[in-house]
Amino acid sequence: MTASTAAVGIHGVTKRFGEDVVAVDDIDLEIQDGEFFSLLGPSGCGKTTTLRMIAGLEYPTAGSIRIFGEEMGLRPPNKRPINTVFQSYALFPHMNVEDNIGFGLRMQKVEKAEVSSRVGEAIDLVRLTGLNSRRPGELSGGQQQRVALARALVNRPKVLLLDEPLGALDLKLRQTMQLELKDIQSNVGITFVYVTHDQEEALTMSDRIGVMNHGQLVQVGRSEDIYEFPSNMFVAGFVGEMSFLPGEVVETGSVRLAGGEVVRARTDSSPGTSITLILRPEKLHLYGEVSEVPPGRNVLNGSVSRRTFYGNSLSYEVELGASGSFDVQVENVPSQTRWDVGDKVVIDFHHEAASALAE
Amino acid sequence: MTLTDERKPSEEEAANPELERGAERREAWRGFLHAVPAYAYLIVFFVLPLVIVFVFSFASRGRTGRPLLEDWNVDGWARLTDPLVRTIVGRSLLVAVMNTVFCLVIGYAFAYWIATRRKQSTRTLLLILVLIPFWSNFLVRTYAWRMLLDSDGYITQLGEFTGLWGRTLFTLPAVFLGLLYGYLPFMVLPLYAAIERIDWSLVEAGRDLYASGVKAFLRITLPLSRPGIIAGSILVFVPSLGAYVTPDILGGAKTTLLGNFIVTQFGAARNWPFGSALSGAILIVMLLATILYFRTGGRTV
Amino acid sequence: MTSRHAASGRTRTDRWLSLNGWFVFAFLYLPILVVIVFSFSGAANVGTWGGFSLRWYRRLAGNEQLLASLENSLWVALYSTIVATVFGTAAALALDRYRRWASRGTFDAILYLPVIIPDVTMAVMLLLWFTQIGLPLGRASIILAHIAFNISFVAIVVRARLAHMDSSMEEAAADLYATRWQTFRRVTLPLIMPGVLGGALLALTLSLDDVVITSFVQGPGSTTLPVHVFGLIRRSVTPEINAVSTLMVTASMILVFSSLAIQRRGEN
Repeated sequence: MTASTAAVGIHGVTKRFGEDVVAVDDIDLEIQDGEFFSLLGPSGCGKTTTLRMIAGLEYPTAGSIRIFGEEMGLRPPNKRPINTVFQSYALFPHMNVEDNIGFGLRMQKVEKAEVSSRVGEAIDLVRLTGLNSRRPGELSGGQQQRVALARALVNRPKVLLLDEPLGALDLKLRQTMQLELKDIQSNVGITFVYVTHDQEEALTMSDRIGVMNHGQLVQVGRSEDIYEFPSNMFVAGFVGEMSFLPGEVVETGSVRLAGGEVVRARTDSSPGTSITLILRPEKLHLYGEVSEVPPGRNVLNGSVSRRTFYGNSLSYEVELGASGSFDVQVENVPSQTRWDVGDKVVIDFHHEAASALAE
Repeated sequence: MTLTDERKPSEEEAANPELERGAERREAWRGFLHAVPAYAYLIVFFVLPLVIVFVFSFASRGRTGRPLLEDWNVDGWARLTDPLVRTIVGRSLLVAVMNTVFCLVIGYAFAYWIATRRKQSTRTLLLILVLIPFWSNFLVRTYAWRMLLDSDGYITQLGEFTGLWGRTLFTLPAVFLGLLYGYLPFMVLPLYAAIERIDWSLVEAGRDLYASGVKAFLRITLPLSRPGIIAGSILVFVPSLGAYVTPDILGGAKTTLLGNFIVTQFGAARNWPFGSALSGAILIVMLLATILYFRTGGRTV
Repeated sequence: MTSRHAASGRTRTDRWLSLNGWFVFAFLYLPILVVIVFSFSGAANVGTWGGFSLRWYRRLAGNEQLLASLENSLWVALYSTIVATVFGTAAALALDRYRRWASRGTFDAILYLPVIIPDVTMAVMLLLWFTQIGLPLGRASIILAHIAFNISFVAIVVRARLAHMDSSMEEAAADLYATRWQTFRRVTLPLIMPGVLGGALLALTLSLDDVVITSFVQGPGSTTLPVHVFGLIRRSVTPEINAVSTLMVTASMILVFSSLAIQRRGEN
């Protein structure tokens, strides 16, 4: 695909506030038509500013933002084929559900009959049937969220922007809404750009994720790739649980840890490079004896220094001596041995499960 | 503004710092345009009149009392040191300070009492009860005291019955009472706004920290309500300093305050330059109070 | 809330606070009540109860001078309120809803001054200015003076309302294809309406209350009701003044309750 057909094309975009604050630092990004794309990062990383620039609520200091090839430049928000679901929903308290949802259509001078039929459809789509004449103040948080979604979707925008729309909901409702949002997105086929600081939320819903930190886009990729193959330390630490062991590359596919153990791992640096070996806790296994380990695996010896109970799983912190320590997550099933603090254990992992990241 | 000679940027152009600045400048310009009617109005009918008070305070006095814009002099300001004038200014300052202190002490206890009522509905009701006199006609409220303090007024009768006081109308205490009555609501409202906003868990933490309730109050509640104290004190002090209606209705010849004295200069005494100098002095106090207000970040009203 | 409980516990301090509270309320209300009660007294001597009577009110109805001053008051209040409400609301928007523009701070300070300035000083300022620019003193000069102090009060009330209103409302409207004007008309204005009306009612009250400034800048035949009543009070205390006062307090009460009702409806 060429740049002109991307749903959202962001090229060399920078946003400065005042002289010193660089909120967004020269980012390039293309979001494809029909994609569910998440901008993920800690607060203050520039993700919301990026979203607001796409919406036209802020203007970039430099760079180009295109929607389906059309340059947005200084176009005000009301002239952009985009709609937004705001973090606080920003529902109009003096209008009922129907009027809130129909607001955008009325502003576009859509015919009355069409407004009411499209509003009706939107209300059904977000399953708010029967609440047409309620005021936002009379709705639950989840219902308000659906109104905000319907109010944006009813305009059939080319791109829908969502700014942490589930942040205010409780955990259970958030999980339900995640699935529902994903379903709605595949039904309507509109490009979604979703801003969140919650990595689990991003992983659950997104086709692709862009991870941001300090105003920069540090990695862009499919959700699975972001999780499995973080390309830098920030992403490795921010997305999911991760253990870090310092070491250096011996040869391609082989790494020596600080304590001298040599293990096989994915590498892309030349021999001698200092690296950090990253391991996901759920990809490690614990055994009592080396003989129990399936053949062909990496084996390390250590001892349990802490055990934490999580209900569906247990987490063990394993001490490796000079090489450091890491976490091992074990499912809470009867076949798994329970280890106590102080137990000598053998850790095993597949060489695909460990990656060597250059500093 | 330089807006017009700027190149009108096309909306469909990739951003650059110049365009962004242009957009921000246009936005700021729109804000300014919203302010223009009030801004222009206040410059013409407030700022320029304020300036002209100072100009006229250096003018000379014509035969009719109207100022002549010639023979510039500082006589008006010099007269501020006259023994008679000094007495009046001193009395006014004393009355304004005392009134502020009284309003603050009574008003604080009162506002604190309202703000610490348990139920929101009780607090709202009590606040409405404060608002009613606040909105009621100042003149009428002052008049009420004239009735009560006159020879056959109830307060006078009560004083004579107990043998504690006689007719207080046209004396300084009467003026004092009238000012307290008139300005108390102006103190209570900002104080209430500040105390209502206090995070009470801080006060509770303070009670744990400092054994005595008094200490907790002095170290925590009082500093936290400072914006209200400053705003309320200015709202009482400055207008009290220039009070006119109250001393005119409740006071007598021996209780002349600055406000009455100024009015006299524009009436019977026919000395506009001197009246302007006196007004200028009040304005200087007012401007200092305003600077204090903005410096201490007490914007709450 | 629990801590507010603690602060209002049935302690000795709280009993003193309650006592002070009720004493202050008595102090605020009793004098007005006395005026109201005696306005219905038939006796010509103020302070002596002469049986219930409406004679003073009837006499008011026939007092030409008083009625003329009332009419002046109403016109002045109406015009000054309308202008001050429009200007003050725009000023509040300028201060609360736009990026920092040059001299915004100066404007903020200027807007604040008329609130604390003593009436006498403002009266002197305006009298000097009006005579200097050659403006004839009359109803027009009174209206111009009232607008000057009312703009600030309206701006303060509206600004307080705007501060409680999330600016994401306006962003959402713009995002939903509303032009600037449509955003103001359909979203901002309806939401700040309680503040605008509250500010207007305050302006109306202040205008109907003003004595000092009006008495300085009035001309022949343009006297307002409070100035007229002030003149009467300076001369003597009469039951007729009690009656006017009662009507004025009643008008204030109606205004304050309307204002509260509007604010309350705005909260829902």
